[in-house]
Amino acid sequence: MNTGESRDEVTPLVAAAHELKAPLALMRQLALRLESSNLSEAERQRLLQQTILTSERALRLTSDLTRSTRLDPALFTLEPINPEQLCRDVASELTPLFEAYGRRVEVTTRKHPLLLVANRDLLRRILLGFGDNALHYSGGDSVVRLQINALKRAGLIRIGVRDYGPALSSDMWRTLQKKLRTSPQSVHARPESSGLGLYIASQFAEVMNGRIGAVRHKDGATFYVELQASSQMSLL
Amino acid sequence: MSTVLLIEDDAWLAEIEAQVLREAGYTVEVAPHGFSAMDKLDTYRPEVIILDVLLTGSTAFSFLNELRSHGDIGTIPIILCTNIAEQFKAHHLREYGVRRIVDKVTMHPDDLAVAVRSVLSDDEFEKGGVS
Repeated sequence: MNTGESRDEVTPLVAAAHELKAPLALMRQLALRLESSNLSEAERQRLLQQTILTSERALRLTSDLTRSTRLDPALFTLEPINPEQLCRDVASELTPLFEAYGRRVEVTTRKHPLLLVANRDLLRRILLGFGDNALHYSGGDSVVRLQINALKRAGLIRIGVRDYGPALSSDMWRTLQKKLRTSPQSVHARPESSGLGLYIASQFAEVMNGRIGAVRHKDGATFYVELQASSQMSLL
Repeated sequence: MSTVLLIEDDAWLAEIEAQVLREAGYTVEVAPHGFSAMDKLDTYRPEVIILDVLLTGSTAFSFLNELRSHGDIGTIPIILCTNIAEQFKAHHLREYGVRRIVDKVTMHPDDLAVAVRSVLSDDEFEKGGVS
């Protein structure tokens, strides 16, 4: 049987079409359900809210794609940023979506504030993408955590998005590692994902002289971005 | 009343599909991924499984392979419900128990209930020894 386990690379255009198919198909089903005459008003409102949130997720991807086609470093100002504050902003932005799924997103607070060098918009987009991904992978009513760590020896700061879901098999983990380094893959290379989101995130990180990565846990995964710590940190 | 195991990792889509199937008179159990589906199979012994292809955690095909390796539950008929229906032909997947393929992109919610009914009546037909 051809199970479609091909590792062929696909163009970003094909990957984008695939990634957008799922939210569009969901929005269509939500709309068709709304046509049903035997819905309560509360049910109708909930379906409307789900339609809006799903369209916003899809629009985030299209916006990231547009941005990723114009990644001249000269266009992106790098500045010292307080990652904890940015994580709070991202968590606030994601909260309506998480609440609608019955999940929570939290920021792990730090005793000592840190500063990193980044472009605020690009870093925000990376973290929103990781958050979306974590929402999909986290199970039940689990929490997704945004965590900030200083890698002092390397002069880096790592922002991780930790989810709690089914463990990835070794095969899938190897495929994921490949995706972190390469362009989008065939849609079968990893279930439900062409890796386009990771590809875009890695491009955004590169423009900020950073990189993305992932850590596998027995009960989920952490996707992270590492960026240069700001030298202003030493003044704190 | 027949029981349907719905394996779908999108919680909102699963909710809509489950509601439609319940309205059609089926008992529905939902599993978000293959691991929990294997657990639920033992408990609920469904007559039909509706399976999304692009799942979290493991692929639908590793689930199908595992399912077929169990003598007692390996013959449960499968309906694939997927966004990439155009990539599959039902007759290529028949040996894995796939009886219908429903295209999520174009389906009407009622199409799933129709597919379940049709698979169950095929089963009745075959059990009656007519085919």
